[in-house]
Amino acid sequence: MNAVPEWLTSDRDSAILATMLASSSSSTLETLAAEAKAITLRRFGRTISLYAPLYLSNYCSSGCAYCGFASDRKNIRRRLETEEIERELQAMKKLGIGDILLLTGERTKRADFDYLRKSVEIAAKHMQRVSVEAFPMSVSEYRSLAECGCTGITIYQETYNRQRYEALHRWGPKKDFLERLETPARALEGGIKTVGIGVLLGLSEPVEDILMLYRHARHLGRTYWRAGISVSFPRMRPQTGSYEPPFPVDNYLLARMIFAFRIALPDVELVLSTRESAAYRDGMVGLGITRMSIASRTTVGGYDDANNDEKGQFDVFDNRTVEEFCTALRKKNIEPVFKNWEPVFNGPSYRQGSEMKQEKLHSCH
Amino acid sequence: MDLLQLGSYKFTSRLILGTGKFSNTKVMLQAIQASGTQLVTVALRRFNREQLADDLFTPLKELPTITLMPNTSGASTATEAIRAAHIARELSGSPFIKVEIHPNPQHLMPDPIETYEACRILAKEGFLVMPYIAADPVLAKRLEDAGCASVMPLGSAIGSGQGLATAEMLNIIIKESGIPVIVDAGLRSPSEAASAMEMGCEAVLVNSAVAAAGNPPEMAAAFAGAVIAGRKAFKAGLMHKSGSAVATSPLTAFLGANV
Repeated sequence: MNAVPEWLTSDRDSAILATMLASSSSSTLETLAAEAKAITLRRFGRTISLYAPLYLSNYCSSGCAYCGFASDRKNIRRRLETEEIERELQAMKKLGIGDILLLTGERTKRADFDYLRKSVEIAAKHMQRVSVEAFPMSVSEYRSLAECGCTGITIYQETYNRQRYEALHRWGPKKDFLERLETPARALEGGIKTVGIGVLLGLSEPVEDILMLYRHARHLGRTYWRAGISVSFPRMRPQTGSYEPPFPVDNYLLARMIFAFRIALPDVELVLSTRESAAYRDGMVGLGITRMSIASRTTVGGYDDANNDEKGQFDVFDNRTVEEFCTALRKKNIEPVFKNWEPVFNGPSYRQGSEMKQEKLHSCH
Repeated sequence: MDLLQLGSYKFTSRLILGTGKFSNTKVMLQAIQASGTQLVTVALRRFNREQLADDLFTPLKELPTITLMPNTSGASTATEAIRAAHIARELSGSPFIKVEIHPNPQHLMPDPIETYEACRILAKEGFLVMPYIAADPVLAKRLEDAGCASVMPLGSAIGSGQGLATAEMLNIIIKESGIPVIVDAGLRSPSEAASAMEMGCEAVLVNSAVAAAGNPPEMAAAFAGAVIAGRKAFKAGLMHKSGSAVATSPLTAFLGANV
């Protein structure tokens, strides 16, 4: 068995975070919150960037014990066809959404790379900004996605504890811990501009996981100095497979983690999804979180046909409408930002040399 | 009349305002009004042609006394910045372009190599090019040679509120520059803006310091006053600051001796 890379275990960077997260920490939650709030206000102002997920397909080849879409679940499997994607995008645009995250399960014949790339191409025609949360790909596949208008890849390690990882990922391509671990680097190598990383809180000892997540962020930042990195804090909720998280993370610990990340990584985008309650999300606005999903559907599609009652990958806890959510933000004196990108900035980023010479590479094929 | 001249454009106000980070458009507009600014910068990526509630451009273009300076924030390469400049000019009709090229969307540090390349090309195309740069005296001269309308070195890291951490380098840039030097980024308090103006900056640009203040319009007005005071002080000529104490036995006493 190959050893885990040295950067994952070295505490060169993570001491500052460990101190803030330790149960014996001298920093109270309140002092961390105040510091995180001040940094967020200075660096990001009174704004929150918004995005929404679109599940393209729930076909999956992996057996993740905790996932509602694992290949042994008895869900009806389907994928959106071209016309359906167009309709979903139109429905999302009507809600004001211009920043979209496209999702699939692990790679299958029904939802493979070509299907994904085509979906990105369609989405990039309609949306200002397109990111993807799907399956690990090769460097050249990532480059091809970037050329089609994908600017961000989200890929969570789920847990950085290798033993727990291997036990939870029972079969399928996702079983390979190291392959997963190296995926964000491959995406950046391929010219993807921003990678989103995270752990699925609840699967393993949370403080250990969050320290390794931090090391991963620092490792990527140092190695790929042009890369944008965003960090999410998804917390396990009851879902289709009725998996009970063995290491539940309470509201206080989650808050401490978010504040500590904001203090240790003042510039990084921190994301909180609709897995969390309306009250928790509203409370976190301005205290470190800078990006949130809205009006999320975790079923395949679901925007065009909002009455669809099929089971999603996980249950949405904050199911307010766009309008309700924006009203809550404005009450807190925070501006909801729907557009914070320009498609003219799409295309792969390059790691070296002058960009002027590489103009030709932008066409989508 | 003491005017700020950029290309053929002349301004009485020497305070330039950024438009991001405000809690809503109304507060942003109030801050602009209170600041008396005549030049504001707005990111192309915050132009939203499809959803006006989210659009920063439309309310700004309605202001009769304001010249818009679109910026390329979000661009990570010269190619992207040039494309953004073309779109921004088409949409805004403004000849100004603030070139911001951040290789890393998080640190917001300007990439000197890409910035130089973009500025060289955009200046040739007739834009009034306003590059956001690190406080690097040589780069500033290179950009002047390339035909930029000004240089905009950072006082400290953007959004950091660390003030004029780069003062030493700014002094060299100001001393050597043949085009207006405008401090952009890092200012937190009006006194820092006044200091920058006293040093000889032709103008300052602030955004976070106003948008993240407790009362943005009041802070905008405070910056306006500080910029005027700093400029007046610069024009009036500050008293020379003695760098060392005078020795009790004069160092030059020998000059009076018969030598």
